[in-house]
Amino acid sequence: MSSPRLQQLISAIGQVLLGKEQAVRLALACLLARGHLLIEDLPGMGKTTLAEALARAFGLEFKRVSFTSDLLPADLTGINVFDAGSARFHFQPGPLFSQVLLADEINRASPRTQSALLEAMAAGRVSVDGVSHPLPEPFLVIATQNGLDQVGTAPLPESQLDRFLMRLSLGYPDRRAELDLLSGKALPPASLEPLLDGAGLLELQRRAAAQHCSSALLDYVLDLAAFSRRADQAGTGLSPRACQGLVAAARAWSLLEGRDHVTPADVQAVLPAVAEHRLAGSAATLLAGVDGLR
Amino acid sequence: MSGSARWLQILGLGALAAGLAGLDFSAPLSWLSAGLLVLAGLKLAEARSLPERRLVSLLTLIGGGVQGAQQGELLPSLLQLLATALGLAGLLALEVGSGLSWRAVLRRSLAVLLAALPVALVLFLLVPRIEPIWQTPNLRGAGATAVTGLNSELDPGSISSLADNTGPAARVSFSSGTLPEPAERYWRVIVHEQFDGQRWKQRELPSNRLVTSTGTASDPESKASSQVWLVEPSPVNAMPWDGSGRANPNQLRVNRNGELQPLQASRERQAYLVRATGSPQPWQQRQPSPADLELPAGSNPQLEALGASWRDLATPEQRLAAAKQWFTQQDFRYSRTPGTQRGLDVFLFERREGFCGHYASAFTALMRAAGVPARVVSGYLGGTWVRPLSGAPYLDLRHSNAHAWSEVWLPGQGWQRIDPSAWATAPASQAEGSEAGGSTNPIGSWLQWLQWQWWGLDLAWSRWWLGFDQAGQEALLQRLFGDQRQWLGAVVLGAVAGLLALALAWLQWLQQPASRDQISRELQAVVKHLRRAGVEVEPGESFEQLCNRASRLLPASASNLQELARCHNLLRYAALGKQERLQQWAAWRTALRTINKATKSTL
Repeated sequence: MSSPRLQQLISAIGQVLLGKEQAVRLALACLLARGHLLIEDLPGMGKTTLAEALARAFGLEFKRVSFTSDLLPADLTGINVFDAGSARFHFQPGPLFSQVLLADEINRASPRTQSALLEAMAAGRVSVDGVSHPLPEPFLVIATQNGLDQVGTAPLPESQLDRFLMRLSLGYPDRRAELDLLSGKALPPASLEPLLDGAGLLELQRRAAAQHCSSALLDYVLDLAAFSRRADQAGTGLSPRACQGLVAAARAWSLLEGRDHVTPADVQAVLPAVAEHRLAGSAATLLAGVDGLR
Repeated sequence: MSGSARWLQILGLGALAAGLAGLDFSAPLSWLSAGLLVLAGLKLAEARSLPERRLVSLLTLIGGGVQGAQQGELLPSLLQLLATALGLAGLLALEVGSGLSWRAVLRRSLAVLLAALPVALVLFLLVPRIEPIWQTPNLRGAGATAVTGLNSELDPGSISSLADNTGPAARVSFSSGTLPEPAERYWRVIVHEQFDGQRWKQRELPSNRLVTSTGTASDPESKASSQVWLVEPSPVNAMPWDGSGRANPNQLRVNRNGELQPLQASRERQAYLVRATGSPQPWQQRQPSPADLELPAGSNPQLEALGASWRDLATPEQRLAAAKQWFTQQDFRYSRTPGTQRGLDVFLFERREGFCGHYASAFTALMRAAGVPARVVSGYLGGTWVRPLSGAPYLDLRHSNAHAWSEVWLPGQGWQRIDPSAWATAPASQAEGSEAGGSTNPIGSWLQWLQWQWWGLDLAWSRWWLGFDQAGQEALLQRLFGDQRQWLGAVVLGAVAGLLALALAWLQWLQQPASRDQISRELQAVVKHLRRAGVEVEPGESFEQLCNRASRLLPASASNLQELARCHNLLRYAALGKQERLQQWAAWRTALRTINKATKSTL
């Protein structure tokens, strides 16, 4: 199967978030594919726990911001502060300048603040007062949000959603896992020892991007995209960025599976997480609509 | 617009330029070819936009066509084919952009050519040839350095030794595919009529004295035997033949002495077809002229005296017999190195040693002295019988096969061939002349072998296209249409339209399997078997999922189904080396066979 280090990561996070191995693997694949991750579920399902566990296990420097309705963009990006000693302004970086930004309850912030994240997520840099400041490498956003029917939330605009490679739902744990949780077998996220560092993650990301992707597989992805864009399908189709993300995620998934090449199974495994927040329909409709016998 | 298009066009022009090297620039069409090439080259250099680049390819194609109208021989034809394929490939590369590799483009252009082949064949067979366009081809020249063992002037006395020039002189293949009898392997080229006491000269016959070889045109219906000749460049204005038959009158005519002469003197390689005719040849029956008895008095007194002594014999046949008897009684030896001998008397009465030229000229002079019209003929004798791997067997004539003999006029029989060299002792290899190129050098013999193979192909090709000349086409049209010739145009148009439609359909069909690769064809076989076993494919299911599901339903085949899924994934999605790919294919086949057996037994 996959490399021992990846196995260690999965099992370490699994000790914190019980009974959610599939979600943990997808989250790993998302980060290995250099994608930003959105975890969406009801309160109390372990969203923040997963986010924090990921950040800690990767050994990355992370900052956590709880988004509220009065959070301003400058609270994220930082501001130019007047230094009386040198009689100059100098830039005071905000919490965005870290390797991992844990954006808790992202949909509670105002749209203005949400869009401040746009440039950071897409381009890896932040512009303050006309000066562009590069963000560190790697830079990942792990955001959590509540279901939209919760009180006091503003839905993320589609442009913002499209910048998240994956959206995960955790769902209720099974009975056995919940029993373990109640018995106190789950470790707190703070207890996780870092298993990787920034350089290690970059190396894994490089390996994921180098996974062999045959033209037959790309054909499959293109067929899926073409089907999603058909007139008889609800909503908009998959964007080219979504297709890029799908391939990148499938590559990372195949790395987790311990293979050196991508197969349709990898695409099918990551498709719900990659596609559903961009589509009106479900990934299952998409998969059933395309001849998958390949 | 890919860079490969440019390279393909450059290569196409290169092939065209190579074809240009063989053209005869006395023909106006050659200048057109050269002009097209220059034009295409300049256009290529300055072309920036797509239409301009298209023009380069179109010029290449037209250039190939113009060359094709001039040269039909094998090598030029191959070069034209190459230029056309490359030109087409360049055009394709321009149109489809960088989407295809140059190899794929080349393959597709060959497919286009293949599809056009039936149309070309119909046009070749059925469209009547118009004289000025369908010129009798003057083939490519191998340069002006013509070497030959033959000369229009024969002066054996001045030659001290014969050089062994084993350079190629000519090739001939026979429609029967069999070698003629040794006695029939005399290939006449030049008739030497004029004798000045020492030298024999070919008489320059004025061009109006050329006679077309009579009206006994070979019956096109009959499968008359024919010979295809390929003759290397030679300064001699006559071509070898066996003295009977008929060549294309637009290319070669037989003059009154029985020499096969080209209409236009050319220092190029010649290809021609001689069809056998049953009738006696007019040149053979032509009455001798006074020139055939000319003998400068006093130049060889002993010879004249000997010849005159036979004048008393009643018939030419008897004089001939007397001469033969005289030659065989004396101690004549055949030698390729006889040393210079001034005058025939020296040869006949002192040295008695010489090669074919000595014998032929001495015997002819003796006959003239005896009052029998006679002349010297030079040409080739024998040759090497080559059986190439491909193509028909043929006779390879070298310059060392050059020979000289005599012809005497016998009343009632016409001109008869007499070879006095045969009367000398030790006729040596020259008389048989069967083994040429006995090279001990292994590389030399290899080259020799390769050359023989190439010539075999060359001759087969020449036989094919030379054989279908105007007469052949006329015969075919007559057979197909009879007197209903007015339908010819409609039939040609219909055939071309139909074949073009077929070709387009075929090309369309060719393009399809791009997505249908081998493995997906094989998948269908597996799906069929599973369906028979009751497992249907669900929508959107991948092959791996199908196999997993099927292996739960058919536990007996589970391991093989898993194996199939594994091989399929590797073959289709992994980057495998050639060796690994073969291994996976083998594993796939094994698993598939086992499953087939299993499903058959369960049914």
